[in-house]
Amino acid sequence: MTELFQLLVSGFALGAIYGLVALGFVVIYRASQVFNFAHGELLTLGAVLMVWLNSPPAVIEDALALGGSTVDGLGWPWALSLMVALGVTGLVAAVIEGLCLRPLVGRPVFVPIIVTLFVGAILRMVVMLIFGNDSMPILTPWESMGAFDLGGAMIDYSSSAAIVAGGFAFLVFGILVRYTRLGVAMRATSSNQETALGLGIPVGKVLGVTWFLAGTMAALAGIFLGIRDYSVDMNLGFIAMRAFPAVIVGGLDSALGAVVAGLLLGTLEVLTAGYVNSMLGPFGKNFHTVLPYLVMILFLMVRPYGLFGTKKVERV
Amino acid sequence: MPTRPLVTSYHDDMSLFPDLWNRIGLVAALAAIVLFPYLANDHWLNIGINALVAVVGAVGMMVLTGFTGQVSLGHAAFLAVGGYTTAILGLSFGIPFWLCLPLSGLVAALVGLSVGPFALRLEGLYLAIVTIGLMFLVEHMLRNGLEVAYGKEYLSVPMHLWFESGDVDPLGGFRKAWEFGGFKLDSDRKIYLLFILLAVISVWVGKNLQRSNSGRAMMAIRDGELAAGALGVHSARSKMISFGISSFIAGIAGSMYAFAHPVLTLEPFNLKMSVDFVAMVVFGGVGTMFGAVAGALVFTFLHPFCETVGRLMPFPDSFSSEYQSALIFFPVLCLFLLFEPLGLLGIWFRIKRYFLAWPFRY
Repeated sequence: MTELFQLLVSGFALGAIYGLVALGFVVIYRASQVFNFAHGELLTLGAVLMVWLNSPPAVIEDALALGGSTVDGLGWPWALSLMVALGVTGLVAAVIEGLCLRPLVGRPVFVPIIVTLFVGAILRMVVMLIFGNDSMPILTPWESMGAFDLGGAMIDYSSSAAIVAGGFAFLVFGILVRYTRLGVAMRATSSNQETALGLGIPVGKVLGVTWFLAGTMAALAGIFLGIRDYSVDMNLGFIAMRAFPAVIVGGLDSALGAVVAGLLLGTLEVLTAGYVNSMLGPFGKNFHTVLPYLVMILFLMVRPYGLFGTKKVERV
Repeated sequence: MPTRPLVTSYHDDMSLFPDLWNRIGLVAALAAIVLFPYLANDHWLNIGINALVAVVGAVGMMVLTGFTGQVSLGHAAFLAVGGYTTAILGLSFGIPFWLCLPLSGLVAALVGLSVGPFALRLEGLYLAIVTIGLMFLVEHMLRNGLEVAYGKEYLSVPMHLWFESGDVDPLGGFRKAWEFGGFKLDSDRKIYLLFILLAVISVWVGKNLQRSNSGRAMMAIRDGELAAGALGVHSARSKMISFGISSFIAGIAGSMYAFAHPVLTLEPFNLKMSVDFVAMVVFGGVGTMFGAVAGALVFTFLHPFCETVGRLMPFPDSFSSEYQSALIFFPVLCLFLLFEPLGLLGIWFRIKRYFLAWPFRY
């Protein structure tokens, strides 16, 4: 029972991160009808920036003592580093939209797909060029290995932090979309760009802001993913690929769906790793990593538009 | 100024090489391709072999994405299925290479057809992401299946000339150098010549498909599925045919890939390979055989070129040559995609128009 509870909590932490990543995809899809394959690299960028801003400047003797694996950072306070990392990643996302996606309006669906993939590759190379491709330790204001006891299960602070951050981001985003002028403009733009333009909404600016928001979400997800795993490396962004099923199962254009499906699939994945893998014999090795995709494919047979996605109605 | 002569009869419309331009271009391209192995060193010959594999793969992609308009990011999975079928048939059953090729295509086509029903219900981005999922599933099955059957993830790929049994030669008879009358042909050049034949056949098949009833049905679906249905196109059937042919050709490309890389691993069959094929198709020009061939050739040869340029740039030493070339390659490709919607085909049209209209500007 304790084991199940433990697995559920770590599943929820993974699910919260999946949800946050999926939310970033959905926000961009609703605004630009583009699936942003560069999202994973934005995660990496955010996490690496955070590490660089927050780590104290390296002292040569320390570096030698620790085997040369410390980061020569700026040593800013944690909260300030978080804000700056989120902001810079958001700006990068907005710049990507302005430079690469805006000229592609009206081109076939696969052109934005490969352009975002290539932009992601470029981003990865640039981050590697600037920060190197070693694994870096990430600092936390709380004791990073610490845990508290809840009903017999040991729950570490870092997992709970991921859950809290995910919930917080979703709440803020929900309020923003529902109750602010900007949110109304965003909803209008995603519903019909031409009409929105006709009503005096600056569609270009709204798109930029939406991508900015998605970028900050990516950075947040990246940072808390790094905290959960205690370190940041260049392959951190691969998690975005494993969040695809959450996006599709939830429905490409539904923010709520992304979060619900993210939590469901994260929990399912961890439970499968805990219980099912060992039952499948040789084919069970790493089975939990492909299970979300299997669920996605089977689910689409039943509901092609996902849990909460809007069904497309075609008129001739 | 039209870029092709006026079509006045059905015969004109059906002719494979309607004007002098096509014939000149074709002869020049074939001459270059056939002479290439005698001029190039081993390094460039290997790149040429990879380029021919890419041509066949891009033809398969063109059928699905270019003709039918279905976005698939799982193309590498079909190549992997084809490649491993070839390896297993040759290694464990001693099947000759000329039989491995169509059999690999058939197995890949079976996988493609079993994917088809899933794809029929989906479109656009949903399909793209589901095909990524299928790719991961196929990879998982292959990886663990190989672990069970052989206890390792890499296989050697023999190229037998005839049915073998018992202890099989890991290289096969075809890879031995030939020599007759002072004319010597080593293993790589033999494979290169074989691949030219396969590439020409696949391009010819693609071209004929494009001009046939089923090909036109596919293009009608791409341009407007509802309208195509109203005109009597059976859209589900056409999509299935498209999936089948595309994965068959991809399977053959995978088989060629296996022959070109005698030690076959699962590593290269990843999302990047799938994306490369979509990029080749878009880069060359969507919906034409010219696009598939030109896109694949230029795309493959751009890589070593970028590597050479990357060496001249002041990158830090820790940055490997692969990363350096990527840092040049991807921006170039992005700019091209942004500013040349028709791809290489657009450039070809412009050159042709310039000479056709000469001495006038247009």
